[in-house]
This record gives sequence, C-alpha cells and structure tokens, in this order.
Amino acid sequence: MAGATLALSGNPPFLHAKEDYDLVVISGEPAAATKKALETLGGISRFVKKGHRVVLKPNMSFARTPEFGATTHPTVVATVAQECIHAGARQVLILDHTLHRAELCLERSGIREACKNISGVHVQAFQERKFFKEIKIPQGKVLDQVEVIKAVLESDVLINIPVAKSHSATGVSLGLKGLMGLIWDRESFHSRININQALSDLATVIKPQLTIIDATRALTSGGPGGPGEVKKPNLIIAGTDPVAVDSYGVTIVPWYGQNFKGRQVEHLLIAHQRGLGNIDTDPLKIYKV
Amino acid sequence: MRTILQALSLLLFSLFLFFATYKLPDWFPADIYLRLDPLLGLNAVFAAREMIGRALWALVTIGATLLIGRFFCAYACPMGASIDFLDLLLFRKKKRESLKTESSLRKTKYFLLIVFIMAAVTGLSLAFLMDPIALLTRFYTFFIYPLAITLINLFLDVMRPFFKGLGWVSLSHLHFFQPVFYMSAITLLIFGGIVALNLIAPRFWCRYLCPLGAFLSLISPLGLFKRKVSQECNECLKCRKACPMGAIPEDPKTSHLPECIQCRTCVKVCPQNAITFPVSFPIGGEYSGIDFSRRGFIYSLAGGLGAGFLAARSPFTLRQSKLQLIRAPGAIPETEFLRTCIRCGECMKSCLTNTLQPCLWESGFSGLWTPKMDLRLAPCDQNCNVCGKVCPTQAIRSVSIEEKNHAKVGTAVLRKEMCLVWAQNKICLICDEICPYNAIVFRPVEGYRRPVVIASKCNGCGFCEQRCPVLGESAIVVVPDGEIRLKEGSYVKEAKKLQLEFKADPGDDKFILEESGFKIESGKKEEKKSQPQNPKGFL
Repeated sequence: MAGATLALSGNPPFLHAKEDYDLVVISGEPAAATKKALETLGGISRFVKKGHRVVLKPNMSFARTPEFGATTHPTVVATVAQECIHAGARQVLILDHTLHRAELCLERSGIREACKNISGVHVQAFQERKFFKEIKIPQGKVLDQVEVIKAVLESDVLINIPVAKSHSATGVSLGLKGLMGLIWDRESFHSRININQALSDLATVIKPQLTIIDATRALTSGGPGGPGEVKKPNLIIAGTDPVAVDSYGVTIVPWYGQNFKGRQVEHLLIAHQRGLGNIDTDPLKIYKV
Repeated sequence: MRTILQALSLLLFSLFLFFATYKLPDWFPADIYLRLDPLLGLNAVFAAREMIGRALWALVTIGATLLIGRFFCAYACPMGASIDFLDLLLFRKKKRESLKTESSLRKTKYFLLIVFIMAAVTGLSLAFLMDPIALLTRFYTFFIYPLAITLINLFLDVMRPFFKGLGWVSLSHLHFFQPVFYMSAITLLIFGGIVALNLIAPRFWCRYLCPLGAFLSLISPLGLFKRKVSQECNECLKCRKACPMGAIPEDPKTSHLPECIQCRTCVKVCPQNAITFPVSFPIGGEYSGIDFSRRGFIYSLAGGLGAGFLAARSPFTLRQSKLQLIRAPGAIPETEFLRTCIRCGECMKSCLTNTLQPCLWESGFSGLWTPKMDLRLAPCDQNCNVCGKVCPTQAIRSVSIEEKNHAKVGTAVLRKEMCLVWAQNKICLICDEICPYNAIVFRPVEGYRRPVVIASKCNGCGFCEQRCPVLGESAIVVVPDGEIRLKEGSYVKEAKKLQLEFKADPGDDKFILEESGFKIESGKKEEKKSQPQNPKGFL
C-alpha cells in the first residue's frame, strides 16, 4: 500500500549503513557504469531485500529509439533489473505512463527487448485510468490529491531511472520531473497549475529510495520528446537524495548551449526550499570515476 | 463438409482482418479476401480507369468460377457463411412461404450489378454499398472488432484479482486498446437488416440482392459441375423445399442453374438418391439463361449512369479539396482516391491510433465511408504505415515508413484566439513537447514566449491537435493545406522539391534561449517564479 512507499521516505535506519558517499558519478559503458554505481553505493541489496516487490521507473514515454536520448538506455534499465533479481526481489516491475502508444514505446525504446530474458521482470506501460489510484497530498500547495499507478503504491521499493534531458517547460527533465510518469493527469500540470510547484507537491508523496540518472546520453535541446541535440556524457549518476542527484545532473552538460547550476532550475529549487532534498552538491561526498 | 469449409473461410476472414494491424509484415496479404473479390476489382478498375495490381487477384476467383461454377457463394463467401450460421441460430424453426414474385425479384441482383458497373464507368465507386466482402469487412471493423475488444477487456477486468493473486504480473496488467468508430450503429443496422431478410426467405440477400453473386452467376455457365436428376426422382419436392437458393423450380428434375451454388443440400435430402453433380462439359439446354427484361436492363443502365452523373454534378465535387478533410498519408489525389477507394474499412481496422474514421457526408455521397483522419481523437504515428499496406485497391499507397512520413497530410495552424499562451498568457507548451518534428517553436512576442508553427517542418501528424489542453476544439488544428497527394513517385523527393523537412533537428530552441530573457543570476527568484516570463524552468 501507499504506506510502504511513504514509510521509507523518512529516514530508515539502513540508510546510515556502511556506505560513505552521498552521490556517485561513474563514467563508462552503460552496463559497467551502472553496476559500478550500485556497487559504490553499497550494493542494490541496501535497498532491495529478499521477497521485495520492486518498481523501476525509467523514462520510456516516447516511441523513440535510444539514440534520440528521449528514453532511458535499455541496458541501464536491464542492469538494474538484473541486480534487483540477484538481490532476491520477488518481482521487478518496469513501468511508465507513456505519452505515445504503449506498445510502440515498449518496442522502440528497446527496454522490453532488453529485459525479456530476465525472469521475474515485467515491462508494462499504463495508459488506462483503472490502473491508477488516488492518494492525498497532505503537504500539497497546488495539488490536493493525485492519481498514481497502483503498482507503485503496492511496491516495496521504487527506483527512479530517468534519462538526462532538456524540457521545454521545466528546463531539465531528470528524476523529479520523471515522477510525472507515474501519475494519471499530467495535462493539468501544463495548463492549469504551476508545473514547478506541482512537481514538488508530487515529490512529497512519491519518494524513490534510489535515483539513477542515465546520462550515457543527454538530450540537451528539443526535450522532452526530441528530436534534439544528443550529447554523450557517458555518465551514470546515482544517489538517494532525489534533489541532490538532479542538481548534480544539471551541471554535467550545457543545456540549450548554456551552463546551468541546480539552483537555476526552478522545480529543483522549490523542492530544496521545501526540504525535499539538498540542492547544493558542494558539501556532499561525491564518488567520481 | 460444406459447413466446415464455410466455418473455415469465415475464420480465415476474421484472422486476416485480425492481423491487419501494426505491425503487419510486408509479405502478409491481410486484405486477401477483398483482393479476391472480382466485383470490387472491376469496380475499382473501371472507376479509376486504370489497372490496379492487387485487383488482379480477382482473376483467381473468376478463373475458378469459370472452371467449377458458382461455388464461391456456398463455400468461400464469409458473408454467405455468416448468413447461413445466423439463419441456423435464429430462424431454423421459422416457416417461410415461397415468394410469388420470385423470378422478377431474382433479377434485382443483376440490375444492381449493372447499376454498380455503370456507376463505376462514370467514375463513381458505388459497389461498396452492397458488395458482400466490403460490407462484411466494414461490419467486422466497425462493430465486431470493437465489441470483441470490449468483451476481452471485460473478461480481463473480472479475472484481474485472480491473476494478481496468482502473481501473474503481466496478465494482471493486460489491457487492450479500445477502438471506437463513427457509424458503428449504421453498419450494424445494415448487417442486421441483411440477416433479418432471412425471415422472408433463406439467403434472401444471396438470392435476390447480392451483386457479387450476380456477377459470379453470369460467368458460371461453363463450370464443370452441374446438378443432374435421374429417373429415380419421385417428385417429392424435398429438394425444392431445402434448396437455400430457391434454385429448383416446380419440376424438380430441372434447375435454375445460374442460381445454383453447388451446395449439394438437395443431394443430401433426396430420399431416392436421384441427384448428382457430375462433371458435364456442354453448356447445354439445361442451362436456363438469365431472362433479363429488356426494360429492366435499360433502366438499370440508366440508373447506374444517372447515379454517377448525380454524384459527379454535386457541389461537393467542386469543393473536393476545399473541404476540411484530412486523408490518410499516402492517399492518392482526391478525385482518384474517391474513385479507387472501395470503402472496405480495412485501413480503419488496421490504424494503430484509431485516427482513421469513416466519413458520413463530409464529402458528399461519393465520399460515404471513405477514411478520414480525426486528429482531435488521435494522431497519426510516425512509426506506422499499416493503412497503405492493407489497402486492397491502393487508394492509400503502400509505402515505406520514410516515404509515409513525407506524405504530408496537412499543416497545423495555431488559432491564436483560443491558444492558452496567445490569448491568456498562460504557460503551456504541450504542442511543442509532443511534436515529433520540432515544427513548433517558441518565439518572444510582446514579452511572452509564444508557440509558432513552422509549416515546412509540419507533416500534419496531428499530435499537437490531439494533445491541445483547450477544451472543445483544439487551439491548434491540422488543415489540408500543403498536403502532398501523389498518384505515383516518391514523397521524399516531392517534399525535397517543396523544401520541406520532417526530421530530427534541434530547431530554433537556441535562438529562443538567447531572446527570451533567461535570468542567469538567481537572486530574485521568489518574485520571478509566478511570472510567465521565465517559462522554461530555468531561473
């Protein structure tokens, strides 16, 4: 139930385990870099316990092949999924509320293909309201409630695996923005309410235990759907603080041809100010290879 | 034996139609039943005034009928099978008097055939109204297919708790896209009417109305198998009562051979075993010719020509390309399109996004049931080119994905008075976000960044129109202006000639960044936040 996700949002004891780093930034090939990032953070078993139901939220919202940079790299997703299974997860559900037609997104993004041989892993796109369930947002400023994919509410662990891309409304689309893929009504974010404020509201109730930004490619303009300029930072950025991970993600490439800091991204700043995470990465312990 | 073949044929028909969807392999002829239909082929070839490759498949049916006779109706026709099965289900116990006006009614189908052929000669595609294969394909597309999906989803919804309990994750989340169509009700009424006619006589449709049956009967006299009654016959008239086509006259030793579909029901019911279907070569005296009345013949000729004339002399014809009608990508030029399209609905069945919908009167009588794109309902996906692949007359050309994406169907136009950004200074960028071609860019106008369509990059796919959050009509609509309709040749080349470009390109975004007053210093963000001057999310 919702509680499962929400309960872990506090400060579960195991977060203070042996690991030393707040953020890990690994350069390299998608699979190797992802593995290394998880290892450095203390292994996936820090988050995924035996019998857990895990939800992975990559971005597979667009019917675009990986080279467009609009969707998460299939190898990154498959690597995380495989690790979860190794750690004893009962089931791994890879999901997104896709913008384009579901079967096309699953097919073109390559994510279904990449995960088809890992038993216990299911790739699903949700485009029907019956798969969503309304939850309250007690601390909401512009949103009082939101309809979230049921499977997310029923899961034990949520791992967010966004791709790094530009966004024509929010500047960048990283972890926090990616959570919009878990809700039913996205249109109102664009037309009726302030999207930057709404994203913070959402972040108060949906709290991934781990955020892994796939910056193997970055769509630095033309986002979120592309086509646009695709750069190749070849990076995996991971951490437990969603704002810190995003904030670091802002700095890795110039967006629209210009360098920005996390503080210049409105929705991240709002999230920081509301205490949802730390936007200043300088004091953090960062492992960088 | 016959029932099995019929069921098999109906199953095949359903399967082929079922497979007419994304992503259809190139080699799979999902439209095969329509290709095999000689009436649709003739209709399209006459109306279009040129040879149509796929229509040549009809020669198979013609050849087989010349050789064997009118077997198609009894064994292959999925419409005949549907009528027979539903008759068995609904009217088995019904007592049906034989019709007094039999012989004159029988002629109706021949007259209809003449009407359709003559209409085709004038350039009006009309056979779709009554061709059984087109009719049934439409019925399946607009009624059976959506109904089947509804039932399957209902079943899945009921079973969902069980699937979940059993831990079948994929099944517990399985859901099929529910297609919807205009004109489902009309199509159902027509099919229902055809079945209801069985109340009057079995296979009423086949006996008296079916123009395809009429055509096949006309070319059947050379067929090898013909009904023959031996001297054993005791004139019990059981065969006459049982004949589904009413092809046995009062003297049961003779037959109305053009009406005989070789179903051999008479063989089965004959207590004397007096009836056989031997191979017989001579056309012979027994073959009772079709007695057209000369008057009826002339009336139907005139009727066909008149219908064609009427349809062509309507204001619709002159307004053709001035109507707000978006055709499928790859649709040939409108005049030829209307002549070639046989309104089978196969393209609409196959459409991945459900944007293809049947026309009612949008382009007049001559455009009935033709496919149009309803882009407010759904866009055209740039990864799909199935509609052309399944078009049996190639009124929508089968082209590669690359070509199809250059077959511009229209151009998006922003209605500034309705647009949230232009009219109300709101922050909205959905059209820009969703556009697959970056054809929508933001330009600073009067202190606000506002969306603008770059016509040369827009191929009319309609994602913007569908997604526009304005309630009611979209603030961005695709109009036919700029559509590329080619009868032959490459859309890519044509688009190049017109200096259009539909592809990945970062577009004007950089230009906007410089011009739109981004605040790089992050001092006064608190006040700036709510102001629409900084809509891109950077402070």
